Amino acid sequence: MNTEPDLPANHDEARRNFLKQSSLLTALALVPGPVVEAAAQNLDERVASAFEKVPLKLEINGKKFKLDVEPRTTLLDLLREQLHLTGTKKGCDYGQCGACTVHVDGQRVNSCLSFAVMHEGKKITTIEGLADGDKLHPMQAAFVKHDGFQCGYCTPGQIMSAVACVREGHAGSEAEIREYMSGNICRCGAYTNIVAAIQEVKNGGQKV
Amino acid sequence: MNQFQYIRPSKQQAAIEAVARDANAKFIAGGTNLVDLMKRGVMAPQKLVDINRLPLAKIEHENGGLRIGALALNSAVADDRQVRERQPLLAQAINAGASAQLRNMATTGGNMLQRTRCPYFYDTALPCNKREPGTGCGALEGINRMHAIFGFSDKCIAVHPSDMSVALVALDATVLVSGPKGDRRIPFADLHRLPGDTPEKDTTLEPGELITAVDVPDGPFTKHVSYYKVRERASYAFALVSAAVALDLDGNTIKAARLAFGGVAHKPWRLQTAEQFLVGKPATEETFRQAAAVAMQGAKAFKHNEYKLKLAPNTLIQTLKNAAAA
Amino acid sequence: MKPQDKHIGGTLNRVDGHLKVTGAATYSAEYELPGMSYAVLVGSTIAKGRIKSIDARAAERAPGVLAVITHFNSPKVPGFTPTGKDPSQPQTVGGRLKVFHDDLVRFNDQPIAVVVADTLERARFAARLVKAEYAAEKHETDMSAGLKQAFVPTQAKKNPKSPVADYVRGTADAYKTGTRRLEAEYIIPTEVHHPMELQSIIAHWEAPDRLTLYDKTQGTLATRRDFAKEWNLPEENVKVIATFVGGAFGNALHSWPHESAAIIAAKKVNRPVKLVLTREQMTTMVGYRPHTWQKIGMSASADGKITAITHEATGQTSSYEEFTESTVQQTRMMYESPNVNTRYRLAALDVSTPIWMRGPGEATGAFALESAMDEMAYLLNLDPLEFRLRNYTDKDPENGKPWSSKFLKECYQMGAERIGWNKRQLKPGSLRDGEWLVGYGMGVGTFGAHRGSSKANVRLLPNGTVVLQSAVTDIGPGTGTAMTQIAADALGLPPDKIRFEWGNSQFAQAPTQGGSAIVNTVGPAVQEACMAMKEKLRTMAGASNAAFASARKEEVVFADTYLTLNGNPGARASYADLLKQTDGGFVTVESKPNGENNQKYSMYSFSVHFAEVRVNPLTGEVRVSKLVSCADAGTIVNQKTAGNQMKGGAVGGIGMALMEAAVMDDRFGRYVTKDLADYHVPVQADAPAVDVLFVNQPDPHVNALGTKGIGEIAIIGVAPAIANAVFNATGKRIRELPITPDKLV
Repeated sequence: MNTEPDLPANHDEARRNFLKQSSLLTALALVPGPVVEAAAQNLDERVASAFEKVPLKLEINGKKFKLDVEPRTTLLDLLREQLHLTGTKKGCDYGQCGACTVHVDGQRVNSCLSFAVMHEGKKITTIEGLADGDKLHPMQAAFVKHDGFQCGYCTPGQIMSAVACVREGHAGSEAEIREYMSGNICRCGAYTNIVAAIQEVKNGGQKV
Repeated sequence: MNQFQYIRPSKQQAAIEAVARDANAKFIAGGTNLVDLMKRGVMAPQKLVDINRLPLAKIEHENGGLRIGALALNSAVADDRQVRERQPLLAQAINAGASAQLRNMATTGGNMLQRTRCPYFYDTALPCNKREPGTGCGALEGINRMHAIFGFSDKCIAVHPSDMSVALVALDATVLVSGPKGDRRIPFADLHRLPGDTPEKDTTLEPGELITAVDVPDGPFTKHVSYYKVRERASYAFALVSAAVALDLDGNTIKAARLAFGGVAHKPWRLQTAEQFLVGKPATEETFRQAAAVAMQGAKAFKHNEYKLKLAPNTLIQTLKNAAAA
Repeated sequence: MKPQDKHIGGTLNRVDGHLKVTGAATYSAEYELPGMSYAVLVGSTIAKGRIKSIDARAAERAPGVLAVITHFNSPKVPGFTPTGKDPSQPQTVGGRLKVFHDDLVRFNDQPIAVVVADTLERARFAARLVKAEYAAEKHETDMSAGLKQAFVPTQAKKNPKSPVADYVRGTADAYKTGTRRLEAEYIIPTEVHHPMELQSIIAHWEAPDRLTLYDKTQGTLATRRDFAKEWNLPEENVKVIATFVGGAFGNALHSWPHESAAIIAAKKVNRPVKLVLTREQMTTMVGYRPHTWQKIGMSASADGKITAITHEATGQTSSYEEFTESTVQQTRMMYESPNVNTRYRLAALDVSTPIWMRGPGEATGAFALESAMDEMAYLLNLDPLEFRLRNYTDKDPENGKPWSSKFLKECYQMGAERIGWNKRQLKPGSLRDGEWLVGYGMGVGTFGAHRGSSKANVRLLPNGTVVLQSAVTDIGPGTGTAMTQIAADALGLPPDKIRFEWGNSQFAQAPTQGGSAIVNTVGPAVQEACMAMKEKLRTMAGASNAAFASARKEEVVFADTYLTLNGNPGARASYADLLKQTDGGFVTVESKPNGENNQKYSMYSFSVHFAEVRVNPLTGEVRVSKLVSCADAGTIVNQKTAGNQMKGGAVGGIGMALMEAAVMDDRFGRYVTKDLADYHVPVQADAPAVDVLFVNQPDPHVNALGTKGIGEIAIIGVAPAIANAVFNATGKRIRELPITPDKLV
C-alpha cells in the first residue's frame, strides 16, 4: 500500500486549460465551422470531462476491476450505476439507513458515504459476492428461514451487516445484536426475525 | 456535487501544504460527514486531500497516557483493549455515536471535526450564519428543540454533535496538530469554539492545520464512569442531551470528578464548577442533584428547547448514579 | 388433513426469498436499458407564489446535460390541458399536481424543473445550477390556522351517505349531558412513510405512442390508467412493471409529480430516463399521514356502559387536492353506545397532498378513541379490558347487521394472558423495574375486510409447472407466496411446481395493493382459476379418454408429466398431448365478491395490542419492553409471513407512538425533518420481542378461503396501547404524539 504513488494533481488543471483554449477559439470565430459548432453544442465541455476522471483499481467480489471514475462518484453509485451490481441498495444516500452496507477489506461500511477513488486497491464484497456459487451463505439461508425481511430492499445491507456483526464478535446476546444492528433500518419492521436469523448463525457455529 | 480535484499524498507535509495553500481545499479521512455535506451542497470544496494513506492510525500507550492517532477508526478505538481498560468512558462515548458501519469509517480526528446537525445548516434554502455568514440564524426564532442552552450567540444556537468529544473534554485530552507553521498542542477544551460573531468557524484550527493525534492522560477514572445519551430512539440518533461522568471514589466519597454535557452547546460542555462542587462529598443522589443544579447555572432556553433545562440536569443525575454504581 | 388443505395455514418460505437475499431481486431503478439517462428534480424554495423566471443556462451548458425542462419549455402533456374556458387559468381543485404546467407554486419543494444528463453525477450537479426567481405570496402551513378554516369535504357535501359525511346515532353530542364524562383533544403530527426504497421510476417511450414504466407503485393498473390518461393514450399502450417494490406503506397508492416529470423528460430527450428521489423529496412530494386534530367526547354510566361518544377529526390536505380518510369510522361500530356522532373536516394548507399511510385514518382515529377508552376506564376506576368487555358488541351497531365473524373477545383473552395483564395495577406509577417505571396498556384495532373483483390467469406448461399471472404488486406482505400456497392447494401440487408472476400491468387484472384486501380479493381468483383449469384439462382429456370424461374435477391429479385420476392410476393424459390443443390449459377467471353476503353481514378484521413499557422517570425515555398483538383476521394463509407482517405493524406503531413527526418551520413552509437523521423511524434497538397470536378462524362470508386481511390491523391500535401504557407507568397522559422525552421529563 505504501508503494502506491501519490495520485497526480493535474486533472483539474488540464481540464481548465482545455476549456480556456476552446473558448478562445470560439471567441475568435475564425476557426473552422465544426469547432464553433462543437463549442455551441457544449462538446468542448464534454471533451473536457474526459480529464475529470481518475484511474481506479478495485477488487469486487474476487474480480479485479481497472476503472476510470470521477472523484465525486461514490462507491455506491459506482456499484449500482456503472457496474450494475444493484444488490447494494440506496436507501438514503446519507449514511442514515444502512441499505448500502458492503464490506471493504472485510469491514462493514456505508458505501454511500465514501468516494470510490478512496478505495484504491481495496477488496470490496457486496451481497452478490456472499454466496458460494448457488450455495447460499449461512446468513442468507437463515434470513430466508426466519423470514428476516418483507419488501427485501434493506435485506442485502442487513445481511452484509449481520455477517460482519457475527465476525466482529458483536452478536453475543440479543441486546448486543439489536444495538450493533441498529445501523440498518428495516421499515417493514422485520427486526425480531432478523435477530433470530443472526442468533441461529451465531449459535450454529458455521463459518461466516 | 461539483467536480473537485482529488489528491492522495503519502507524506504528511505534502498534505498540509496542499490544504494550506488553497482556501478551497479540504482534508478528507472517513468522509462520513464531509461527503454527506457535499451531496447536499452545504460544502463544496474544489480540492480534496485524502489523508487515509498517512501513518496516523496507531493507538499507543506512552508517557503516562494514551496517544490515539487521528486516523484511528472510531470502532478500532472503542474496541481497543488499552482504551477499554484505561479510558472506558471514551469507549462508551464512541459506541453511543452513529452506527457500527459509520464507526468503521469515521476517524478520531474527523469525529472531532464533524459539523453541527442543525437542519438550517443542512438546507441551503434556509438561512444559516454558519453555512452562509450574514444570512441570519434560522433556528433562533425557528424550530429549535435540538439547540443550545449554553454558550450560544444571537448569530448561532447550533450544538456540536460528537459523543466522543464529550468524553475527551471531560478526560482533559490534548489535541496534537501539525500545520504549515509547525506542530502545536491544543487542550481539548480549546479545540472547539463558541459561535460568537463568527459561527462559520467551528474550531480554533488554522488553515492547513491537520490533527495528527489526541493524547488522553492516564487517570483514576477506570471504573466509575458512565456516558449516557438521551435521544429519541434507542440507538443511531443524535443526542437531545448526553452526559459524560468519571468519578474517583474513596469508599463513598468523591475524590475527583470529571463531567461534561453533549447536545447543549456549540462545543462539548465541560462542567468544572460542578466537578469542584462534588469533591469531598458523598456519592448520593442528593449530592448529585445539587451538582446538577450547579451545572445548570447560566443555562437559557429558546421556544422549543425549554425541556433541556430539566432534561440536562436529570441526565447528569442519571449518569452520576450510573457511574457511582459502575 | 385433506391433501388440498396442506399449504394454506402453513409456513412456506417466501417464494422470492432467494432473490431477495442474494441481491438479485430487481427494483424499479435497477433495470438496464440502452441509452439510459438520469433525471434530477429541482424543487421550489418558496411555499406559495409564482415563478417569475428560471435561469437554466448554466445547467444546460454543464457537461453531459441533455435537457433542462421547466414550465417554460415542457413538452405539451395532452392530459394537462385545462378543461376550463380560460386556458391560462390554473388547474382546478381536485386534481393531481400537473408538473411543469404553470407558474404556480403550491408547496415548498414543488418540482419546478427537471435536469436530464447522461450520468447521475452530472445530472445532480447541473440541478444545483438551476436558479429560479419567484413572486412569493403569503403561505399558510400552520395547522392551527387551518383548523379555523376547516371545511366539510366536497365528497360529503355531494353525498350525505359518503363515509366522510357527518354521522349521528341517537342524539348528537349527548356526552355533554352525561354525569361521568370526558372531553379530550388528541393530535398526531404529520408522519412520513419513508419506505427504504426511494421512489424510483424509469420512463421509456418505446415508440411515440408506446410507454413503458418501471415504476414504484402499489397498483400497476392504476398507474397505467393515470399516465395513459395524462398522455391521451389507449391503456394497452402503456406498460407498467413493478415486480419488486421496496416497501411503500401507502405512498405508492397515488401517482406523483416525479412520475409525470420522468415521462415528460423521456419524451423530451427521447431516451429512457431514470429518476430516483432523494430522501428529502420522499418527505416533500410523495404523500404522508396527515397532521390530524381530533376531539373525543364520551360519557358512561356508573356500571361502565358507554352512553355517548362524539368523535371529531380534522385532517390536513393540500390546497389543490382533497384527501380524505376514514379517521372516525371505527367509533361508529367499535363499541355499543346508544348515542354516537362523528364529524370529519379538512384543513387545506400550502403543502403537498397527503396519502394513506399504513392503517391509514383508522390508525389515526384509534389513537383518539382507544386513548379515550383508557381515560374513561380510569375515570370509572375500571380495568380498561373490563371496560371494553362491558361495551362489546355482538352485532354492528352502525347498521344492526351481524358480523360476518368476530373473535375479538378471544383476542382479548389470549393477549391478556400472554402479556401478563394481571400484573397491571389500576393506580399509575405502581410498578418498577429498578429505576424504571413499568406500565401496561392496550389498544384495539379494526379494519374492513374488503374484497374487490379480480381476475387471474393460469396455464400449464409441458413440464408440469403451473404459471399464474396477476397484475397485483407485492410490496412486502408476501402476496406471491400466499398465492402460490393457494394455487398449490387448489391443484394438489407442491409449491415448487407453481410459478406465480406478478407486478406487470399486462397480467390479469387485479386491484392496487392496499387496504388489506389482496388475499381477500386475488386469493379467490387464483383458487377459482386453478379449479377452472383443472376442469378444462379434464374435459380436454375426456375428449379421447372416457375415464376423464366421466370423472369429477376433484378426482384430477397432476402427476409429473401427465394428468391422472385419483384411484385410477391407469388413466393418463400427457401434458404434451393436452397442450398441443389450441391454447392448451390457459384459463382466465374473474372472481367477484358475493353481493348478497355483503348486504347481509358487516365484515371486519379485529386486533388488540398489549404493550408493556418502561419509562425512565428522570430522563423521560420510553422503551417498549414487550408487545403482544392478537388478530382475528380469518384464515391465516401463511403463519410465517403473516406473523412477520403483524410484527412489522407493531414496529410501525412504536414509531408512531414514540418518535415519528415531520416538523415544518411555518415561517418558510418548509420541513426541517427531511432525512432519516431528523425524522426518526424505529431501529433494531427500539424493537421489542413481539408476540403474535392469531385466532385463525375462517370467516364464512368474505370469501371461500375464509380470510379477512391483516396489513392494517397490525398497526391500528398499537400507538394508543403504548400511550396508555405510558400513562399507567407515569400517570402522565400524552395526547399529542409522539411521546418523546421532552413531554415526560
